[in-house]
Amino acid sequence: MSKSTKKLTLSKKHNLTGWAFLAPGALLIFIMSFIPMIRALILSFKAGVGANMNWCGIMNYTRMFQDKVFIQSIKNTFFYLIIQVPVMLIFALILASILNNKDLKFKGLFRTMIFLPCATSLVAYAIIFRSLFANNGLVNLVLVNLGILDQPYSFLTNTTSARIVIVIALLWRWTGYNMVFYLSGLQNIEYSVYEAAKIDGASAVQSFFRITVPLLKPTILLTAIMSTNGTLQLFDESVNLTNGGPANTSITMSHYIYDMSFKFVPNFGYSAAMSFLILILVAILAFLQMKVGDKRD
Amino acid sequence: MYLFLCIVSFISVFPLYWMVSASTNKSAEVISGRLIPGTYFIENLKNLLTTQNIGRALGNSFKYSIILTVVSLVVCSLAGYGFEIYHDKGKDTVMSIILLAMMVPFVATMIPLFQMVSKAGWLNTTIGFILPTISTPFLIMMFRQSARSFPHDIMEAARIDGLSELRIFFQMFMPTMRSTYAAAMTITFMNAWNSYLWPKVIMTDATSQTMPMVVANLTEGYVTDYGMLMLAVLICTLPTAIVFFCLQNAFAEGITGAVK
Amino acid sequence: MKRKILAALLASTMILSLVGCGGNGGAASTDDGAAATTDEAAPAADDAAAPAADDAAAPAAEGEETLTVWCWDPAFNLNAMYEAEKVYQKDHPNFKLNVVETPWDDIQTKVTTAATSGDLSTLPDIFLMQDNAFQKNVISFPDVCADLTNSGIDFSQFAAGKTAYSVIDGKNYGVPFDNGAVVACYRTDYLEQAGLTVDDFTDITFDQYLENGKKVLEATGKPLISMQAGECDLIMMMMQSAGASLFNEDGTANIVGNDTLKVVMETYKKLKDEGVLVEVNSWDEYVGSIVSGDVAGTINGCWIMASIQTAEDQSGNWAITNMPSLVGVSGATNYSNNGGSSWAVTTNCKDQALAADFLASTFAGSTELYDNILPSGALATWAPAGDSDAYGAPSDFFGGDAVSAKIVDFSTKVPSNITGVYYYEARNAVATAITNYINGADIDAEMQTAADTVNFNMGQ
Repeated sequence: MSKSTKKLTLSKKHNLTGWAFLAPGALLIFIMSFIPMIRALILSFKAGVGANMNWCGIMNYTRMFQDKVFIQSIKNTFFYLIIQVPVMLIFALILASILNNKDLKFKGLFRTMIFLPCATSLVAYAIIFRSLFANNGLVNLVLVNLGILDQPYSFLTNTTSARIVIVIALLWRWTGYNMVFYLSGLQNIEYSVYEAAKIDGASAVQSFFRITVPLLKPTILLTAIMSTNGTLQLFDESVNLTNGGPANTSITMSHYIYDMSFKFVPNFGYSAAMSFLILILVAILAFLQMKVGDKRD
Repeated sequence: MYLFLCIVSFISVFPLYWMVSASTNKSAEVISGRLIPGTYFIENLKNLLTTQNIGRALGNSFKYSIILTVVSLVVCSLAGYGFEIYHDKGKDTVMSIILLAMMVPFVATMIPLFQMVSKAGWLNTTIGFILPTISTPFLIMMFRQSARSFPHDIMEAARIDGLSELRIFFQMFMPTMRSTYAAAMTITFMNAWNSYLWPKVIMTDATSQTMPMVVANLTEGYVTDYGMLMLAVLICTLPTAIVFFCLQNAFAEGITGAVK
Repeated sequence: MKRKILAALLASTMILSLVGCGGNGGAASTDDGAAATTDEAAPAADDAAAPAADDAAAPAAEGEETLTVWCWDPAFNLNAMYEAEKVYQKDHPNFKLNVVETPWDDIQTKVTTAATSGDLSTLPDIFLMQDNAFQKNVISFPDVCADLTNSGIDFSQFAAGKTAYSVIDGKNYGVPFDNGAVVACYRTDYLEQAGLTVDDFTDITFDQYLENGKKVLEATGKPLISMQAGECDLIMMMMQSAGASLFNEDGTANIVGNDTLKVVMETYKKLKDEGVLVEVNSWDEYVGSIVSGDVAGTINGCWIMASIQTAEDQSGNWAITNMPSLVGVSGATNYSNNGGSSWAVTTNCKDQALAADFLASTFAGSTELYDNILPSGALATWAPAGDSDAYGAPSDFFGGDAVSAKIVDFSTKVPSNITGVYYYEARNAVATAITNYINGADIDAEMQTAADTVNFNMGQ
C-alpha cells in the first residue's frame, strides 16, 4: 500500500518535470504559430480584395472545389507525394546503412558529397536543373548521342516528363537530407548487434530488414511525416523548374496559394482557406502514420 | 558497392561542379552551357564585390543563423526530452497538436505574424528573424524520437545518486545524444541560412539583408550576369557545406565513450 | 482526481510564470505600451552592432531632406536613382537618398504584407513598380500610393501609351520611367545568308515575317525567334500592337469573341508549326539561345538589347527595327510595349511635396539626367529627352545605327490599351489556353476555358 502511494507521487513529480521541460518550446510554438494560425482561420471566413475583407461564411471553402486550377494542383501534388516520398526514403535508408559500414573507405567524403545537394542554394539548383533538361541541355545531348532519342525532347514542356523532372529534382535534393537522420539514428544502435548477426550467418539484406529497419522505426516515422508535410507544401520546384507548366499540369497547391496571395489580385481569405485544406490533408496522413509507427514497445 | 557510391556521389556533386566552373566563366559562356573552368573568376569576384555588399550580408547571415541554431537546439531538445522521457497520454496529445503548427503553409500565417513582429518593433532585428523559428515541431519531434533510445536504467541510477532532473539532461542526455545534436545542428543551420520568405518580409533595410537576399538581388535585373550570380551562389552554399563536413563525424561515427 | 487538479494548478502557475519572464512575444498583443518601451532598446542595440549602420541611421538623424527608395537592378534602376540624386542635389544640397536594393518580387511581397496587415509605416517614400502591376496594386490597396495628379509633374510630356499604365480613374499614380517599347532584333549575318536585309523586316506584317522566317530557316537552319513556353510575352505584345486587351473598359474579361486574340493565337501557332518560332523552357534558355547564336533574332522590349550585347563576339552583326503587324485586325500597328516600370510615391512618405518635386525636377524634367543614364541602357519615355544629342549617337554593336533615337520614336507610336486589374490572372489563363491550343486542342474551347478561369478569379 505505502509503496504504491510513493509511486504515485513520484509519477506526479515526473509528470510536472516533463511539463516544465517542454514548456518553453511549446509556449513559443503556441505564440508564434497558433496565434497566427487562428487569425488565418478567422481570415478564411472572410472574402474581399486586398485589405477590404468582409464575412462570407464558408464560401471560401466551397469555392475551392469549383476551382479547376486548384483541383489540378491537388492532383499534381498527390502525384509527387505517392511517387517521390517512398522512393526517396527507401533510397536514403539504403545509402545510410551502406555509409554506416565501419570498414568503408572515404565514407566522410561520400557522405558529404551526397549531402551537398540540399545545401546548394535554390537559385543555383534551379538554373542547373533547367539547363540540364533544356532542349539543348546535357541530358538531351547524352540521350541523342547514345541513340536513345532521335531528336532533343522538350522535357519541361510536356506534362509527364515535366512532373518526372520535378520528382527527380526532389530526389536529388532531399535524399541526402533524409540520410542524415538515418545515419544519426543508426548511431544509437550498438554496432555489435550487426557483428553478432553476421556471426550467426545473417546476410547484409537480412540484417537490414531484421535490425536496421525495426530499430530505426522512430526515425523513419519522423522522416515520413516530415516528407509528407514537405511534399504537400511543395513550392520551390514548381515555381522554379516548370513554373507550374505546361498549362498548370505541374503546379502545386502551395504555388497556387502563393500566386493567389502575391501575384494575382490578393485574396487572402481564399488563400487561408486553401491552406487549411493542406493542414487537414497533412494531419490525416500524419495521424495514419503515427497510428502505424508510433508505438512504444 | 563502391561503384554505386561513386555514381550516386557523381550525380550529387555534378551540379556543384557546374556551379564552380560557371563562377569562372563569362555570363554568355555560362548560359551557352560551357562546362570547363575559365579564367574569368577574378573579374566575376570584382564585379560582385562592387555591386553587392557581400561582407555585410555574410555577417548578417552568420549572426542570425548561429544565434538561431544555438537557441533553437536548447529549447527544442528540452521539449523533445520532456515529451518522451516523461511521456503520458496528455503529453502525447500535446505533441500531436504541436505537429499541426507545421502543416499550414507559411504564406497563410505570414501576415498575422508580420503584424505581431512589426507591432513589437522587431523589424530588421535578429530577434524578429529568429523568434518564429526558434521552436519548431520538427526539431521537437526529432529529439522526442531519438530520446526513445535513451536508456532508462541509466536515468534511474542517476536519480538514485541524487542528480537533479535538469542535471541528468545536461550531463547525461546531451553528451549521449551527441549524434542527434550534430544532425539537428546541421539541419537547423542550413534552414536558417537558406530561409528567404520571412527575412524578405521583415528586413526592409539594406543593412540587415542576408546572403540569399543578395543572391535574389542578382537575378532581378534586365541583364543577369550568370558568372557573377554563380559565384555569389557558391559563396552562399559553402558555409552549409563546411558545417556539414565538420559535423558529419559527430553524427555518423557512433557513440564513443558513451555512458554504459 | 485530487492529483489531477493539483497537477493542473501547478502546470498553470508554471506557464504563467514563464509568460511573465520569457514571453515577450505574447506581451506584444496584450500590453502594447510596455512592450514598445522595452522593445525599442533591442533594435537600437542591434543597429549599433551592425557594421554599416550609418546608412540606416542617417534618415532618422537628418530628417526632412532624406527619401528612402526601393528599386531593383543596380546597373539600371539604382544607377538612375543615384544620378537623379546628384542632379537634384545641385539645387538642394541637403537632399539625400537612401536607396535599398529590393527585387520586384520582394517589393510586391512587402507592399502586400504591409497593406494587408494595415501597417504602412514599413514602406519607403518612393518605390519602383512594374507597369503591369500598377492597376492591381492601386485598386487592391487604395491607401498605398499617393495621388500625383496635381503634384506639379507634367505628365503630358510622357508617351501616352506609357502613362496609361499608372492612371487609375483619371488620376496619375506613377511617374513613368524606363522604356519598354518593343524592338525586333535580327542577326544581319544570318539574314544575309538567306539573301535578306533588315529592310525586308521593317514595316512588315506577320505573314511576311513568316515567309522571311522560312527562308532564313532554310538557309541557316536557325529559327527567327525563341520564346519562353508558358509565358505569353509575345502574345501580349501582339495584342497591344493592335491596341487590344484582354479586358473591356468596364473591367470585364474580353476573351471569348475577342477576334484579335484569336488572330494572335493562330499567328503564334503558325509560327511555331513552321519552325520559325521555337519554344524554350526558361528565361535563361531564352537569353542563352540569343547570345549563343541559336536564333536569328528576337522580338521584345528594348531592354533586351542589354542582354544581347553581352555576346561581345556578335558586335556589328545585329540590327533593330519595328515589329511585324497583325493581319486582318483593325488598328494593327508595328509598335508595342513589353515591360517597363514607373515610380510611385507612398502615402507613408512624410514629405510628399519633396518627393513629388524631386521626381518632377529629375525624371520628369531633366535632360541632363537622361543623358547621364543613357550609357547604362536606360531609355526615356519623357519626350524632351529624345531630342538630346546623346540619343543620336550611333551604336557600333547594332551596325552603327542610332538605336536610342529610334526607340524613343517607336515608343511615341505605341497604342495604349487596358492593362486590367486582373492582368496576371488573365495572362496565366491565356498562357494555359495557348499551350493547349498548340498541342492540338480546339481554339474556341480553350478561349472559353480561359474566360471561365478569369471570371472565376474575378468573382470573389
